[in-house]
Amino acid sequence: MTVAPKDFATYADEYVLGLLDEADATRLDAQLEHDTALADAVAQARERFLPLDTGIEPARVTPSLWNAIETRLADAQAPSSIPSASPPRPAAGNDNARSGWRAAAISAMAASLMLAGGLIWSVTRTADPLVVAVLLNEAGEVQAVVEDFGNDTASVKLLTDFAVPADKTMQVWTLPSREMGPMSLGLLQDAHSATLSGSALPRPQDTQLYEITLEQAGGSPTGRPTGPILAKGFAKLAR
Amino acid sequence: MSAVATAETEYSRTRESSWGESGLALATDQSTDLETALLACARGDRNGLRLIFDLEGGRLVAVAQRILRRRELAEEVVQEAFIRIWTHAHQFAPGRGSARGWIYAVVRNRALNMLRDGRREDLVSDERLETLQDAEQMDEIMSAWHRLDRDSRLKECLGALEEMRRRGILMAYVGGYTHGEIAGRLKLPLGTAKSWIRRGLLSLRECMA
Repeated sequence: MTVAPKDFATYADEYVLGLLDEADATRLDAQLEHDTALADAVAQARERFLPLDTGIEPARVTPSLWNAIETRLADAQAPSSIPSASPPRPAAGNDNARSGWRAAAISAMAASLMLAGGLIWSVTRTADPLVVAVLLNEAGEVQAVVEDFGNDTASVKLLTDFAVPADKTMQVWTLPSREMGPMSLGLLQDAHSATLSGSALPRPQDTQLYEITLEQAGGSPTGRPTGPILAKGFAKLAR
Repeated sequence: MSAVATAETEYSRTRESSWGESGLALATDQSTDLETALLACARGDRNGLRLIFDLEGGRLVAVAQRILRRRELAEEVVQEAFIRIWTHAHQFAPGRGSARGWIYAVVRNRALNMLRDGRREDLVSDERLETLQDAEQMDEIMSAWHRLDRDSRLKECLGALEEMRRRGILMAYVGGYTHGEIAGRLKLPLGTAKSWIRRGLLSLRECMA
């Protein structure tokens, strides 16, 4: 016996709220594995209620919790061998895979994976930046990563090719404070990644804005960004 | 000239933006990070899991604790959930729902399972009526609704519900209560509680559609 499509929304809500009795929940779990319309309904229900969880005041978490997870991970198998660490009642409803999506998703995420590598590399190195900002273009694609070391040095890694006309140059900016306004970190010669130094600015903060604009060769004549924004993003404290 | 406007407008928007707006921008960045982190987990990159822990660990413990009432049980649930996130990350596909929703669902499922397995027996027993702790949990449950962004659709639509229906829905989602427990707390017959909640959920879906 399966749940009929007309009842999907009702069951999805009650499933997400944890209100189904065990028999119904098990039934739904089984059906979710192959019924994409039902899985969609569950995903929608989940998103509807999610803000009730994400708005919560975070608990203070000690390093011992992560250590405990790492210890358990050591016992668990690699991701490819799934069943080893399965809890008693598997939440198959959480399987939101849809095969047709996979190829598209993988290619769309390739840039993000580069970013993951960049982030991980940047936060595990010995000379640590104070903040890391991931810069995205208007379409939300990752374009560059800025690491600000706070000692008047910032490293800019470009993660895509930029077409810069001969009479133009890429200029990197940050907004240390509203009062100060946008400040130049420097120019990227030949649209290459670079380490920029020499601009004495306040210690970078969490959520500080960084961006790259296209300026005339030699940099913005006004000392403020004047050209179109190629990428921008907010910094996060490296920890 | 239009190029000038682009950059200047951008900065003035940032300069004028309220804390809330920049918070929103951050939240967006964060959800991208979570998706990236889940995909990293699926590839066997443990740093992805660490990133999820760093971004969401505190809230996930709090969510589990709100359901289970006890910190040590909440931490156990979060540990189990992170192992599951690690082993099942490949099941996440960005096309269906957010990475954040997926991650929270893993923790919620583990917490509810533990609750239903009776590990919280002493805390949810039916004999225990309006105790102090019960009242406290009720406050906490309702505050989850109050804390929603003022202009959030969910907040508005929950607010439009008749009070008992809103309460029932919040008790279930936020506190992990069963139909029976909700009926007991709201002093309603079980069948009535069930149908009220069901109708409340229907109104909520229609309101948020």
